[in-house]
Amino acid sequence: MAQVTTTDSLFNSMSSDKQHGPVTIFESPRLILTQSTEMLKKKNMNLVFAHRFGDVAGDLGGGRTLFGLDAIADVYIGFQYGITDNLNVDFGRSTLPNGGGLISGQLKYALMHQTADDSSPLAISVLGMGGVRPYNAYNTFGDRVSYFAQALFARKITHSFSLQVAPSILYDNQPDPNVPGNENTIFSVSATAKLKVTKLMSIVVDYAHPFSSFRNNNAGYSDPLGAGIQVVTGGHVFTLNISNARAINEMNYLANSGSDFGRGQYRLGFTISRTFDFTHKEKYNPK
Amino acid sequence: MKYICIILLTLLNINKPDQELYTCKNAHITLFSKALIEDIKATTASGISVFNATTSELNFSVPISTFQFEKAFMQQHFNSDYMESDKFPRAIFKGKIQEHIDAAKDGTYPVNVAGDLTVHGITQKRTIQGNVTIKNGIVSMASEFMVRCADHHIDIPQILFYHIAESIKITVSATYNPYKNIP
Repeated sequence: MAQVTTTDSLFNSMSSDKQHGPVTIFESPRLILTQSTEMLKKKNMNLVFAHRFGDVAGDLGGGRTLFGLDAIADVYIGFQYGITDNLNVDFGRSTLPNGGGLISGQLKYALMHQTADDSSPLAISVLGMGGVRPYNAYNTFGDRVSYFAQALFARKITHSFSLQVAPSILYDNQPDPNVPGNENTIFSVSATAKLKVTKLMSIVVDYAHPFSSFRNNNAGYSDPLGAGIQVVTGGHVFTLNISNARAINEMNYLANSGSDFGRGQYRLGFTISRTFDFTHKEKYNPK
Repeated sequence: MKYICIILLTLLNINKPDQELYTCKNAHITLFSKALIEDIKATTASGISVFNATTSELNFSVPISTFQFEKAFMQQHFNSDYMESDKFPRAIFKGKIQEHIDAAKDGTYPVNVAGDLTVHGITQKRTIQGNVTIKNGIVSMASEFMVRCADHHIDIPQILFYHIAESIKITVSATYNPYKNIP
Protein backbone atom coordinates (compact mmCIF):
# COMPACT_ATOMS: atom_id res chain seq x y z
CA MET A 1 0.00 0.00 0.00
CA ALA A 2 1.27 3.40 -0.94
CA GLN A 3 2.42 5.56 1.91
CA VAL A 4 -0.18 8.17 2.72
CA THR A 5 1.54 11.27 3.97
CA THR A 6 0.19 13.33 6.82
CA THR A 7 -0.55 16.18 4.43
CA ASP A 8 -2.45 13.95 2.03
CA SER A 9 -4.57 12.29 4.65
CA LEU A 10 -5.55 15.61 6.21
CA PHE A 11 -6.18 16.99 2.71
CA ASN A 12 -8.37 14.03 1.78
CA SER A 13 -10.35 14.26 4.98
CA MET A 14 -11.09 17.90 4.18
CA SER A 15 -12.13 17.37 0.54
CA SER A 16 -15.37 15.59 0.06
CA ASP A 17 -16.37 14.82 -3.49
CA LYS A 18 -19.96 15.54 -2.61
CA GLN A 19 -21.35 18.02 -5.05
CA HIS A 20 -23.85 20.58 -4.02
CA GLY A 21 -26.33 22.72 -5.80
CA PRO A 22 -28.99 22.02 -8.38
CA VAL A 23 -28.40 20.10 -11.60
CA THR A 24 -29.32 21.61 -14.96
CA ILE A 25 -31.82 19.14 -16.41
CA PHE A 26 -33.09 21.05 -19.44
CA GLU A 27 -31.24 24.11 -20.69
CA SER A 28 -34.40 26.01 -21.42
CA PRO A 29 -37.66 26.71 -19.54
CA ARG A 30 -39.62 25.86 -22.69
CA LEU A 31 -39.21 22.65 -24.71
CA ILE A 32 -41.15 21.88 -27.88
CA LEU A 33 -44.69 21.52 -26.54
CA THR A 34 -44.23 21.46 -22.81
CA GLN A 35 -42.51 23.78 -20.40
CA SER A 36 -39.69 22.35 -18.31
CA THR A 37 -38.77 22.32 -14.63
CA GLU A 38 -35.92 24.68 -15.48
CA MET A 39 -36.34 28.08 -13.85
CA LEU A 40 -35.05 31.50 -14.74
CA LYS A 41 -32.74 32.84 -12.10
CA LYS A 42 -33.67 35.95 -10.14
CA LYS A 43 -33.59 39.15 -12.19
CA ASN A 44 -33.23 37.24 -15.45
CA MET A 45 -35.63 37.82 -18.29
CA ASN A 46 -36.27 35.43 -21.13
CA LEU A 47 -37.79 36.57 -24.40
CA VAL A 48 -39.42 33.81 -26.44
CA PHE A 49 -40.39 33.86 -30.09
CA ALA A 50 -42.02 30.62 -31.19
CA HIS A 51 -43.37 29.92 -34.62
CA ARG A 52 -45.35 27.07 -36.17
CA PHE A 53 -45.69 26.99 -39.95
CA GLY A 54 -48.52 25.47 -41.99
CA ASP A 55 -49.00 21.82 -42.92
CA VAL A 56 -46.03 20.34 -44.75
CA ALA A 57 -48.18 17.88 -46.70
CA GLY A 58 -51.88 17.07 -47.02
CA ASP A 59 -54.60 19.34 -48.44
CA LEU A 60 -53.05 22.60 -47.25
CA GLY A 61 -49.41 21.71 -47.77
CA GLY A 62 -47.23 20.81 -50.70
CA GLY A 63 -45.41 23.05 -53.16
CA ARG A 64 -48.22 25.57 -53.37
CA THR A 65 -47.50 26.81 -49.84
CA LEU A 66 -43.79 25.89 -50.03
CA PHE A 67 -44.53 22.97 -47.70
CA GLY A 68 -46.30 25.15 -45.22
CA LEU A 69 -43.69 27.90 -45.00
CA ASP A 70 -46.14 30.41 -46.50
CA ALA A 71 -48.71 29.78 -43.82
CA ILE A 72 -48.77 30.57 -40.12
CA ALA A 73 -50.35 28.05 -37.79
CA ASP A 74 -49.36 29.91 -34.62
CA VAL A 75 -46.93 32.53 -33.40
CA TYR A 76 -46.15 32.95 -29.72
CA ILE A 77 -44.37 35.98 -28.34
CA GLY A 78 -43.79 36.01 -24.65
CA PHE A 79 -41.45 36.87 -21.86
CA GLN A 80 -40.64 35.35 -18.53
CA TYR A 81 -39.07 37.01 -15.56
CA GLY A 82 -37.44 35.56 -12.49
CA ILE A 83 -38.96 37.18 -9.40
CA THR A 84 -36.83 34.83 -7.34
CA ASP A 85 -34.76 31.79 -8.33
CA ASN A 86 -37.84 29.66 -7.62
CA LEU A 87 -40.71 31.88 -8.80
CA ASN A 88 -41.13 32.94 -12.42
CA VAL A 89 -43.84 35.05 -13.98
CA ASP A 90 -44.71 34.65 -17.64
CA PHE A 91 -46.75 36.69 -20.11
CA GLY A 92 -47.46 35.65 -23.65
CA ARG A 93 -49.63 36.14 -26.68
CA SER A 94 -50.55 33.54 -29.25
CA THR A 95 -51.76 34.50 -32.71
CA LEU A 96 -53.70 31.34 -33.49
CA PRO A 97 -55.50 32.90 -36.49
CA ASN A 98 -58.58 30.66 -36.33
CA GLY A 99 -58.83 30.41 -32.55
CA GLY A 100 -59.30 34.02 -31.56
CA GLY A 101 -55.77 34.41 -30.23
CA LEU A 102 -54.79 33.94 -26.62
CA ILE A 103 -53.27 36.23 -24.04
CA SER A 104 -51.87 34.24 -21.16
CA GLY A 105 -50.35 34.95 -17.80
CA GLN A 106 -48.57 32.36 -15.73
CA LEU A 107 -46.83 31.80 -12.43
CA LYS A 108 -44.38 28.93 -12.09
CA TYR A 109 -42.86 27.79 -8.83
CA ALA A 110 -40.02 25.34 -8.26
CA LEU A 111 -40.81 23.13 -5.28
CA MET A 112 -37.61 21.14 -5.46
CA HIS A 113 -34.43 20.88 -7.54
CA GLN A 114 -32.51 17.77 -8.44
CA THR A 115 -29.17 17.94 -6.65
CA ALA A 116 -25.85 16.52 -7.76
CA ASP A 117 -25.49 14.38 -4.62
CA ASP A 118 -29.00 12.94 -5.21
CA SER A 119 -30.25 14.09 -1.81
CA SER A 120 -33.14 15.30 -3.94
CA PRO A 121 -33.54 12.96 -6.92
CA LEU A 122 -36.19 14.92 -8.82
CA ALA A 123 -36.92 18.44 -9.86
CA ILE A 124 -40.54 19.43 -9.29
CA SER A 125 -42.16 22.61 -10.50
CA VAL A 126 -45.80 23.64 -10.57
CA LEU A 127 -47.39 26.19 -12.83
CA GLY A 128 -50.74 27.91 -13.01
CA MET A 129 -51.91 29.81 -16.07
CA GLY A 130 -54.89 31.94 -16.95
CA GLY A 131 -55.80 32.81 -20.53
CA VAL A 132 -58.21 35.15 -22.32
CA ARG A 133 -59.23 34.92 -25.98
CA PRO A 134 -59.41 38.52 -27.18
CA TYR A 135 -61.02 37.93 -30.59
CA ASN A 136 -63.88 35.88 -32.06
CA ALA A 137 -67.47 36.20 -30.87
CA TYR A 138 -68.37 35.04 -27.35
CA ASN A 139 -71.60 35.51 -25.40
CA THR A 140 -69.93 36.71 -22.23
CA PHE A 141 -66.45 37.70 -21.19
CA GLY A 142 -66.34 34.65 -18.95
CA ASP A 143 -66.56 32.38 -21.98
CA ARG A 144 -63.24 33.76 -23.18
CA VAL A 145 -61.38 32.58 -20.10
CA SER A 146 -59.45 29.32 -19.60
CA TYR A 147 -57.35 27.98 -16.74
CA PHE A 148 -54.46 25.56 -16.81
CA ALA A 149 -52.42 23.95 -14.07
CA GLN A 150 -49.53 21.55 -14.43
CA ALA A 151 -47.05 19.74 -12.21
CA LEU A 152 -43.67 19.00 -13.80
CA PHE A 153 -41.48 16.13 -12.58
CA ALA A 154 -38.05 15.85 -14.18
CA ARG A 155 -34.83 13.96 -13.68
CA LYS A 156 -31.47 14.02 -15.38
CA ILE A 157 -31.01 10.26 -15.52
CA THR A 158 -27.57 10.08 -17.09
CA HIS A 159 -25.03 12.69 -18.13
CA SER A 160 -26.86 13.15 -21.44
CA PHE A 161 -30.40 11.85 -20.92
CA SER A 162 -33.20 13.71 -19.17
CA LEU A 163 -36.84 12.81 -18.78
CA GLN A 164 -39.89 14.77 -17.70
CA VAL A 165 -43.44 13.68 -16.92
CA ALA A 166 -46.08 16.33 -16.39
CA PRO A 167 -49.73 15.74 -15.49
CA SER A 168 -52.01 18.69 -16.06
CA ILE A 169 -55.58 19.90 -15.89
CA LEU A 170 -57.16 22.35 -18.32
CA TYR A 171 -60.49 24.06 -17.73
CA ASP A 172 -62.21 26.03 -20.50
CA ASN A 173 -65.24 28.08 -19.46
CA GLN A 174 -66.59 27.40 -22.91
CA PRO A 175 -65.43 24.12 -24.44
CA ASP A 176 -62.85 24.50 -27.20
CA PRO A 177 -64.02 23.72 -29.90
CA ASN A 178 -67.52 24.77 -28.84
CA VAL A 179 -69.47 21.76 -30.09
CA PRO A 180 -71.94 19.47 -28.28
CA GLY A 181 -70.31 16.63 -26.38
CA ASN A 182 -67.03 18.44 -25.76
CA GLU A 183 -65.78 18.67 -22.20
CA ASN A 184 -64.86 21.76 -20.20
CA THR A 185 -62.25 19.91 -18.19
CA ILE A 186 -59.42 17.89 -19.73
CA PHE A 187 -56.82 15.93 -17.82
CA SER A 188 -53.59 15.33 -19.74
CA VAL A 189 -50.19 13.81 -19.25
CA SER A 190 -47.11 15.06 -21.08
CA ALA A 191 -43.83 13.22 -21.42
CA THR A 192 -40.60 14.73 -22.68
CA ALA A 193 -37.22 13.15 -23.31
CA LYS A 194 -34.00 14.99 -24.08
CA LEU A 195 -30.83 13.37 -25.33
CA LYS A 196 -27.69 15.48 -25.43
CA VAL A 197 -25.72 14.61 -28.57
CA THR A 198 -22.98 17.22 -28.45
CA LYS A 199 -22.04 19.77 -25.82
CA LEU A 200 -24.46 22.31 -27.22
CA MET A 201 -26.99 20.23 -29.14
CA SER A 202 -29.77 17.96 -27.94
CA ILE A 203 -32.58 15.95 -29.46
CA VAL A 204 -35.94 16.55 -27.81
CA VAL A 205 -39.10 14.45 -28.16
CA ASP A 206 -42.27 15.82 -26.63
CA TYR A 207 -45.64 14.09 -26.36
CA ALA A 208 -48.97 14.87 -24.72
CA HIS A 209 -52.01 12.71 -24.19
CA PRO A 210 -55.34 14.34 -23.28
CA PHE A 211 -57.66 11.92 -21.45
CA SER A 212 -60.84 12.82 -23.24
CA SER A 213 -63.58 10.63 -24.65
CA PHE A 214 -64.44 13.43 -27.05
CA ARG A 215 -60.91 13.61 -28.46
CA ASN A 216 -60.67 10.28 -30.21
CA ASN A 217 -59.23 9.35 -33.57
CA ASN A 218 -62.66 8.83 -35.13
CA ALA A 219 -63.56 12.45 -34.43
CA GLY A 220 -60.32 13.52 -36.14
CA TYR A 221 -58.24 14.20 -33.05
CA SER A 222 -54.76 12.94 -32.47
CA ASP A 223 -52.31 13.40 -29.62
CA PRO A 224 -49.80 16.23 -29.95
CA LEU A 225 -46.31 14.95 -30.70
CA GLY A 226 -43.22 16.96 -31.49
CA ALA A 227 -39.57 16.19 -32.09
CA GLY A 228 -36.68 18.49 -32.73
CA ILE A 229 -33.18 19.65 -32.05
CA GLN A 230 -32.26 22.18 -29.42
CA VAL A 231 -29.10 24.25 -29.76
CA VAL A 232 -27.81 26.22 -26.80
CA THR A 233 -25.37 29.07 -27.23
CA GLY A 234 -24.40 31.56 -24.53
CA GLY A 235 -27.69 33.13 -23.52
CA HIS A 236 -29.65 31.87 -26.55
CA VAL A 237 -31.63 28.69 -27.09
CA PHE A 238 -32.78 27.70 -30.57
CA THR A 239 -35.22 24.87 -31.18
CA LEU A 240 -36.06 23.54 -34.62
CA ASN A 241 -38.90 21.07 -34.56
CA ILE A 242 -41.54 19.11 -36.40
CA SER A 243 -44.91 18.61 -34.72
CA ASN A 244 -48.49 17.89 -35.58
CA ALA A 245 -49.75 20.41 -33.03
CA ARG A 246 -50.69 23.71 -34.63
CA ALA A 247 -50.74 25.69 -31.42
CA ILE A 248 -47.87 26.57 -29.10
CA ASN A 249 -49.71 27.31 -25.86
CA GLU A 250 -50.79 24.30 -23.76
CA MET A 251 -54.36 25.61 -23.53
CA ASN A 252 -54.70 25.47 -27.28
CA TYR A 253 -52.87 22.32 -28.31
CA LEU A 254 -54.30 20.14 -25.54
CA ALA A 255 -57.90 21.18 -26.24
CA ASN A 256 -57.86 21.44 -29.99
CA SER A 257 -55.44 18.83 -31.27
CA GLY A 258 -57.12 18.23 -34.60
CA SER A 259 -54.14 17.64 -36.84
CA ASP A 260 -52.61 14.29 -37.61
CA PHE A 261 -49.23 13.13 -38.90
CA GLY A 262 -51.01 10.51 -41.04
CA ARG A 263 -52.92 13.19 -42.95
CA GLY A 264 -49.77 15.19 -43.64
CA GLN A 265 -50.75 17.71 -40.98
CA TYR A 266 -47.34 18.19 -39.47
CA ARG A 267 -45.31 21.31 -39.62
CA LEU A 268 -41.94 22.90 -39.12
CA GLY A 269 -41.55 25.10 -36.12
CA PHE A 270 -38.86 27.00 -34.34
CA THR A 271 -38.34 28.69 -31.02
CA ILE A 272 -35.79 31.38 -30.31
CA SER A 273 -35.26 32.44 -26.76
CA ARG A 274 -32.82 34.95 -25.40
CA THR A 275 -32.02 35.41 -21.73
CA PHE A 276 -31.08 38.81 -20.36
CA ASP A 277 -29.40 38.98 -17.00
CA PHE A 278 -30.13 42.13 -15.02
CA THR A 279 -27.94 41.29 -12.06
CA HIS A 280 -24.97 43.57 -11.95
CA LYS A 281 -22.36 42.44 -9.55
CA GLU A 282 -19.33 44.60 -8.92
CA LYS A 283 -17.58 45.50 -12.11
CA TYR A 284 -14.19 43.87 -12.43
CA ASN A 285 -11.42 46.23 -13.51
CA PRO A 286 -8.26 44.43 -14.54
CA LYS A 287 -5.12 46.41 -13.86
CA MET B 1 -14.04 -1.24 4.53
CA LYS B 2 -12.26 1.31 2.33
CA TYR B 3 -13.58 4.12 4.47
CA ILE B 4 -12.60 2.41 7.70
CA CYS B 5 -9.07 2.09 6.31
CA ILE B 6 -9.02 5.75 5.38
CA ILE B 7 -10.30 6.77 8.79
CA LEU B 8 -7.76 4.56 10.56
CA LEU B 9 -4.95 5.85 8.40
CA THR B 10 -6.11 9.38 8.97
CA LEU B 11 -6.18 8.90 12.72
CA LEU B 12 -2.83 7.15 12.78
CA ASN B 13 -1.09 9.71 10.65
CA ILE B 14 -2.59 12.98 11.70
CA ASN B 15 -1.87 12.33 15.34
CA LYS B 16 1.84 12.46 14.73
CA PRO B 17 2.71 15.46 16.85
CA ASP B 18 5.93 16.39 15.11
CA GLN B 19 4.47 17.91 11.97
CA GLU B 20 3.60 21.56 11.62
CA LEU B 21 0.30 21.65 9.70
CA TYR B 22 -1.72 24.59 8.52
CA THR B 23 -5.17 24.44 6.91
CA CYS B 24 -7.41 26.84 5.05
CA LYS B 25 -11.07 26.15 4.31
CA ASN B 26 -11.95 29.37 2.53
CA ALA B 27 -9.24 29.93 -0.07
CA HIS B 28 -10.31 32.60 -2.55
CA ILE B 29 -9.83 31.55 -6.14
CA THR B 30 -10.65 33.76 -9.09
CA LEU B 31 -10.60 33.01 -12.78
CA PHE B 32 -10.46 35.65 -15.43
CA SER B 33 -10.68 35.48 -19.19
CA LYS B 34 -10.50 38.23 -21.74
CA ALA B 35 -13.41 37.68 -24.11
CA LEU B 36 -14.78 39.22 -27.27
CA ILE B 37 -17.95 40.81 -25.97
CA GLU B 38 -17.25 41.10 -22.27
CA ASP B 39 -14.59 39.84 -19.91
CA ILE B 40 -15.51 36.79 -17.92
CA LYS B 41 -14.74 36.55 -14.24
CA ALA B 42 -15.73 34.07 -11.59
CA THR B 43 -14.87 33.71 -7.94
CA THR B 44 -15.17 31.15 -5.20
CA ALA B 45 -14.25 31.18 -1.54
CA SER B 46 -14.67 27.42 -1.14
CA GLY B 47 -11.12 26.36 -1.92
CA ILE B 48 -9.40 24.23 0.68
CA SER B 49 -5.70 23.99 1.29
CA VAL B 50 -3.25 22.15 3.50
CA PHE B 51 0.28 23.42 4.09
CA ASN B 52 2.79 21.20 5.86
CA ALA B 53 5.60 23.45 7.07
CA THR B 54 7.69 20.44 8.05
CA THR B 55 7.72 18.76 4.65
CA SER B 56 6.95 21.91 2.57
CA GLU B 57 4.00 20.10 0.99
CA LEU B 58 1.24 22.38 -0.26
CA ASN B 59 -2.11 21.08 -1.53
CA PHE B 60 -5.09 22.93 -2.94
CA SER B 61 -8.52 21.73 -3.96
CA VAL B 62 -11.48 23.69 -5.30
CA PRO B 63 -14.99 22.44 -6.13
CA ILE B 64 -15.68 23.60 -9.71
CA SER B 65 -19.40 24.09 -9.15
CA THR B 66 -18.79 26.72 -6.45
CA PHE B 67 -17.44 29.30 -8.91
CA GLN B 68 -19.88 32.21 -9.05
CA PHE B 69 -20.21 34.03 -12.36
CA GLU B 70 -21.76 37.37 -13.04
CA LYS B 71 -24.34 35.81 -15.35
CA ALA B 72 -26.29 32.67 -14.57
CA PHE B 73 -26.00 31.17 -18.06
CA MET B 74 -22.22 31.63 -18.03
CA GLN B 75 -22.08 29.55 -14.88
CA GLN B 76 -24.28 26.89 -16.48
CA HIS B 77 -22.03 26.70 -19.57
CA PHE B 78 -18.89 26.69 -17.44
CA ASN B 79 -20.10 23.68 -15.49
CA SER B 80 -21.85 21.65 -18.17
CA ASP B 81 -19.91 22.45 -21.35
CA TYR B 82 -16.38 23.53 -20.40
CA MET B 83 -15.47 21.89 -17.11
CA GLU B 84 -18.00 19.01 -17.07
CA SER B 85 -18.14 19.43 -13.31
CA ASP B 86 -20.45 16.44 -12.84
CA LYS B 87 -17.62 14.20 -14.12
CA PHE B 88 -14.70 16.23 -12.75
CA PRO B 89 -15.99 17.92 -9.62
CA ARG B 90 -12.68 19.32 -8.38
CA ALA B 91 -9.52 21.02 -9.54
CA ILE B 92 -6.59 19.83 -7.43
CA PHE B 93 -3.00 20.96 -6.99
CA LYS B 94 -0.52 18.86 -5.03
CA GLY B 95 2.91 20.38 -4.77
CA LYS B 96 5.98 21.09 -2.74
CA ILE B 97 7.47 24.47 -1.95
CA GLN B 98 11.03 24.46 -3.24
CA GLU B 99 12.33 27.04 -0.78
CA HIS B 100 12.49 26.60 2.97
CA ILE B 101 9.94 28.61 4.91
CA ASP B 102 10.42 29.33 8.58
CA ALA B 103 6.86 29.70 9.84
CA ALA B 104 8.11 31.25 13.04
CA LYS B 105 9.72 34.23 11.34
CA ASP B 106 7.72 37.15 9.95
CA GLY B 107 8.32 38.15 6.37
CA THR B 108 7.30 37.70 2.76
CA TYR B 109 8.89 34.86 0.88
CA PRO B 110 8.69 34.54 -2.93
CA VAL B 111 8.33 30.81 -3.57
CA ASN B 112 8.21 28.28 -6.39
CA VAL B 113 5.80 25.41 -5.88
CA ALA B 114 6.41 22.35 -8.04
CA GLY B 115 3.71 19.73 -8.38
CA ASP B 116 0.74 18.30 -10.23
CA LEU B 117 -2.20 20.43 -11.31
CA THR B 118 -5.31 18.40 -12.12
CA VAL B 119 -8.06 20.26 -13.93
CA HIS B 120 -10.84 18.63 -15.97
CA GLY B 121 -9.37 15.22 -15.13
CA ILE B 122 -6.03 16.00 -16.82
CA THR B 123 -2.88 16.29 -14.73
CA GLN B 124 -0.01 18.57 -15.73
CA LYS B 125 3.35 19.04 -14.02
CA ARG B 126 3.59 22.68 -13.09
CA THR B 127 5.87 25.00 -11.17
CA ILE B 128 3.81 27.87 -9.88
CA GLN B 129 5.21 31.06 -8.43
CA GLY B 130 3.69 32.81 -5.49
CA ASN B 131 4.27 34.59 -2.24
CA VAL B 132 4.10 33.27 1.29
CA THR B 133 3.56 35.90 3.96
CA ILE B 134 4.03 35.27 7.65
CA LYS B 135 2.83 37.96 9.98
CA ASN B 136 2.44 37.47 13.73
CA GLY B 137 2.46 33.72 13.18
CA ILE B 138 -0.36 33.82 10.61
CA VAL B 139 0.53 32.16 7.32
CA SER B 140 -1.04 33.41 4.10
CA MET B 141 -0.30 32.76 0.45
CA ALA B 142 -1.06 34.45 -2.83
CA SER B 143 -0.41 33.44 -6.38
CA GLU B 144 -1.36 34.32 -9.90
CA PHE B 145 -0.80 31.97 -12.82
CA MET B 146 -2.16 31.02 -16.23
CA VAL B 147 -3.88 27.78 -17.20
CA ARG B 148 -4.09 26.88 -20.87
CA CYS B 149 -7.48 25.32 -21.71
CA ALA B 150 -5.84 23.04 -24.29
CA ASP B 151 -3.43 21.62 -21.66
CA HIS B 152 -6.40 20.23 -19.78
CA HIS B 153 -8.45 19.16 -22.83
CA ILE B 154 -11.07 21.82 -22.20
CA ASP B 155 -12.81 22.24 -25.54
CA ILE B 156 -14.25 25.60 -26.40
CA PRO B 157 -17.45 25.08 -28.41
CA GLN B 158 -17.17 27.08 -31.61
CA ILE B 159 -20.65 28.56 -31.78
CA LEU B 160 -20.67 30.01 -28.30
CA PHE B 161 -21.17 33.73 -28.47
CA TYR B 162 -18.89 34.27 -25.52
CA HIS B 163 -15.51 33.19 -26.80
CA ILE B 164 -13.12 32.76 -23.95
CA ALA B 165 -9.38 33.22 -24.17
CA GLU B 166 -7.05 30.25 -24.73
CA SER B 167 -5.42 30.88 -21.37
CA ILE B 168 -7.29 31.66 -18.20
CA LYS B 169 -5.75 33.72 -15.43
CA ILE B 170 -6.13 32.14 -12.00
CA THR B 171 -5.66 34.13 -8.80
CA VAL B 172 -5.36 32.33 -5.48
CA SER B 173 -5.24 33.74 -1.98
CA ALA B 174 -5.43 31.76 1.22
CA THR B 175 -5.01 32.51 4.91
CA TYR B 176 -4.15 29.54 7.11
CA ASN B 177 -4.94 28.42 10.62
CA PRO B 178 -2.61 26.10 12.51
CA TYR B 179 -4.07 22.60 12.51
CA LYS B 180 -4.70 21.40 16.05
CA ASN B 181 -4.09 17.74 16.65
CA ILE B 182 -6.57 15.87 18.72
CA PRO B 183 -4.50 14.68 21.70
